[in-house]
Amino acid sequence: MNKVLNTILLPLMIFSFQSFLNAQKSNETVWFNGLARSYFSRDVLESTSDTLYPRNTSNGYNLVDLNIHVNPIKTIEIFAQLRVRNKFGSFFGSGTNIDVRQLRASGTIKNKFNFSVGDIFLKQNRFTLYNYNEELSSFENDMFKPYRDIIHYENFYTDNRWRLQGLQTDFSLQFDRFIRTLEFDFFITRPRGSSQLGSNTYSPDLLLFGGSFVSKITKKLSFEVNYIKFFELPSSGNMNISINNPVYHSGLNYKYIKNNFMLSHKLQTGFSQRNWLFSELDNGSDSSSFSTRGMFFEFENEFLVKDSSFKLVLGARYVDPNFRSAGSQTRRIDFNTEIQNTVYPLHTNDYVPRPSSAFDLLSDENRFNQDLFGTLMSFNPIFSNILPFGDGTPNRMGFYLSSTLNKNQILFSKIKTAFFNEVIGQGTTEKRNFLLLAGDLKININEIFKKPKEFSLSFSYWYELTKRDGDVFEELNLNSSHINGFLNLEISKKFYFQLGLKQINASGKEFITQRNEYGVIQNFSFVNYDQSDFIYFAGINYKIKKNIYANIQYNWWGEDLNNPTNPTFYDFNYRRLLFIFSVKL
Amino acid sequence: MRTIKDIIPFFIFLFFFNECTKGDIEGPLISDLYGAFSITDDFLLVNKTPDFSSGDIVKFNCSFNKTTDWKITITGLQSSSVKEISGFSNLIDSNIVTWNGNTSQLPFFQKENCAVELTFLNESDKLRDTLNIIGSNAYEDGILVANFENGLPQDALVSWTSNIGLRTFEIANDDPLLGNAYFKMGGKVNWDWPIGKLDLKLNLPSITVPAEEFYINIGILSDSIDIHTGQFINIIISESTLPFNDDLTPNQAGQQLADIFDASDEVYKMKIPVDWHGWRILSFKYSDFEELSPGASGVIFNKNPNNITGIRIASQACPSAGANVNCPENLNKLVRTDIDHIIFTENSPLLGN
Repeated sequence: MNKVLNTILLPLMIFSFQSFLNAQKSNETVWFNGLARSYFSRDVLESTSDTLYPRNTSNGYNLVDLNIHVNPIKTIEIFAQLRVRNKFGSFFGSGTNIDVRQLRASGTIKNKFNFSVGDIFLKQNRFTLYNYNEELSSFENDMFKPYRDIIHYENFYTDNRWRLQGLQTDFSLQFDRFIRTLEFDFFITRPRGSSQLGSNTYSPDLLLFGGSFVSKITKKLSFEVNYIKFFELPSSGNMNISINNPVYHSGLNYKYIKNNFMLSHKLQTGFSQRNWLFSELDNGSDSSSFSTRGMFFEFENEFLVKDSSFKLVLGARYVDPNFRSAGSQTRRIDFNTEIQNTVYPLHTNDYVPRPSSAFDLLSDENRFNQDLFGTLMSFNPIFSNILPFGDGTPNRMGFYLSSTLNKNQILFSKIKTAFFNEVIGQGTTEKRNFLLLAGDLKININEIFKKPKEFSLSFSYWYELTKRDGDVFEELNLNSSHINGFLNLEISKKFYFQLGLKQINASGKEFITQRNEYGVIQNFSFVNYDQSDFIYFAGINYKIKKNIYANIQYNWWGEDLNNPTNPTFYDFNYRRLLFIFSVKL
Repeated sequence: MRTIKDIIPFFIFLFFFNECTKGDIEGPLISDLYGAFSITDDFLLVNKTPDFSSGDIVKFNCSFNKTTDWKITITGLQSSSVKEISGFSNLIDSNIVTWNGNTSQLPFFQKENCAVELTFLNESDKLRDTLNIIGSNAYEDGILVANFENGLPQDALVSWTSNIGLRTFEIANDDPLLGNAYFKMGGKVNWDWPIGKLDLKLNLPSITVPAEEFYINIGILSDSIDIHTGQFINIIISESTLPFNDDLTPNQAGQQLADIFDASDEVYKMKIPVDWHGWRILSFKYSDFEELSPGASGVIFNKNPNNITGIRIASQACPSAGANVNCPENLNKLVRTDIDHIIFTENSPLLGN
């Protein structure tokens, strides 16, 4: 395979270089950027009772992503990202992979229409197409930035967009009466192609298309409509079963300035449909099943001080139990039990699959998902139970409030609270109540004492409470708290000493919902949590330049599971030495 | 502001006039899943005197307050045949849970009284009833290839290894699986693997299912008296378009062999170790068959049950003497791999119907 790739890519590189030379002659532009990274980790098993696994393992790689930008004319760009990746321990090409990671052509036609073809990054609205941040990543204050950067880069998570392959175009119009502007955006993509599943079974193509229309009616008032459709094309496979999930959204935004405040009020609503089409190819009659319809409504108010030193958001939201939007409810992390962790996937001498801990969610790039799903994915309630599927989490209604404060670059504070109820109960007429209380405080101590070298302390606390009344079987009460602490001290110029901790404590009862392939709840499995996840780290970060850094850190991580039958048997403790050298070219 | 007055009614329209499909609760009741178990509708049998030979079925009905693993066990009081039907639900629906007189464990049910018992995993409750079979299932719900009741099928070719010591390639009536006859297939060939084979000509234009849903079912009898190590049956299926028996040249033993099972044709195989005592009915998906000769030049291997033109049942055993002494313990033992009731079924195996 490598030989084939080399055969293809070597001429391509020569061609690129030749193009570059030709470009110099014909005023075409070819330019390069990219990323280079060296990564090395050494994981150590701390438990002495696990005797069936190696005491330590090491892993690492070097990679270079070369981005080639070709501008044959000023308004057109051809972009290709080539990756050369070499695992540690490989020699003379064996273990070296060369991949084409991204390809895209984009440009502007007649200075009016923008277009992109190939790998495109799409985001629309929080209820239609939106790639929500993974759990545990809020309020970290860049504590685990080297890990997060890698996860996001490797999984193409950019600006809450989904990476898709297809065509996108947008254009806008301006008017001098009645309305001020009209903006249009359309896309069509294929998240998954038809593939062979069995000797005579082929899955259909999965398509996603949509459009947005935004109009600035007056200086203060704007109106938007979004539409997205996630569906399978039955004729492109022979499984005879295809999903269809359109989502409609509209919003009205009123913004104005009063005294020292910028205020905005946003009203948005919409609805979704979802069904599966069962095509009988022989007799031509189709039938649709598992049809659901659901709507949502949100009213949000934002108060922003003009200098951005303070912001307050207050809102109310209702999301129907049957609101389904594949583009916005797909999660980055799937807690499907079949997915194993990369580091020490089994533990104990009984070869028990190791549950995913906070450290796995931070560091294991293979745990993350890049595909859109038409049904709700599994989640772990101790990490996120209030809104596991983002703002469009079905079966929620309630209020939320958040604020940010920046006091003279000395003190940064964030507060987030929410109170939600279920709209209908799960497995009972009793409904869950959810409470979120979260706060984050960062103090730049060097700013207090007017010192040039950075010295900051930050601390955050995230608390989720889930309660439900009812009889002895129905009642539940789950407490989950996430604590982050971080010290960042510049001991020499651009040379930082860092200490950090993250701890997740969970206790109480909850039921995990089990759904079938059509998203219908089949069962509730009872779980009684009493556990604590922890990650501690100490390290040094050398920021050579803005885009170049070297980071070395030592992590202590694990999980204490107070299993009632054997309080310590299922606990696990590991350590890791990590080195990252990253250069953005 | 006038524009706002125009747009807000639009939102109100969307909010109030959009029909949603939410119910009162989502999912099964937790009190049912985790509460105390109780029967809400009694265990009921519809048709307690079935005549399975004329297509009768027995229907079962029962409901309980929680979703659980349940099992219906029907035991023939004379034959000791057992049929088990199981599921995970809170309802045994008589439209779905039925019995057509087949068995999960040989021998087959006869005309006899049966005990019926409904049990639940992790629950002590047991519900009992009885029924009386007045006509047993003939197991002919499929494409019957051979039941040997009237001798060998038309165009069948029987052959055995030249100079075989003892051989039993013949119709017999002493111990049939079903009906009154079966095909004895065995013998003693100490020096080589092949014992003999039965070639049957087929024509299956009416099959509508793909290979994944097409089953080959066969009854096989062996005994533990002379059981060989390395004793098995090979089932070979051909989709060759050659004539079944055009070449009339006999083999060394003087018998005719079908011409459609050569390694150069589109032929598939399945190897079945035979190491038990008594009759068993085995079922295989056609899609699980392997290509006989994957590298055959010019052959496109694309299983299609419609195109099957023949089936070969071959008996083999590990040699105990001669040039290849692989199993000396088999010396002078008589191989027994008798067969009966070869039948193709669509969508499910014979005993799963």
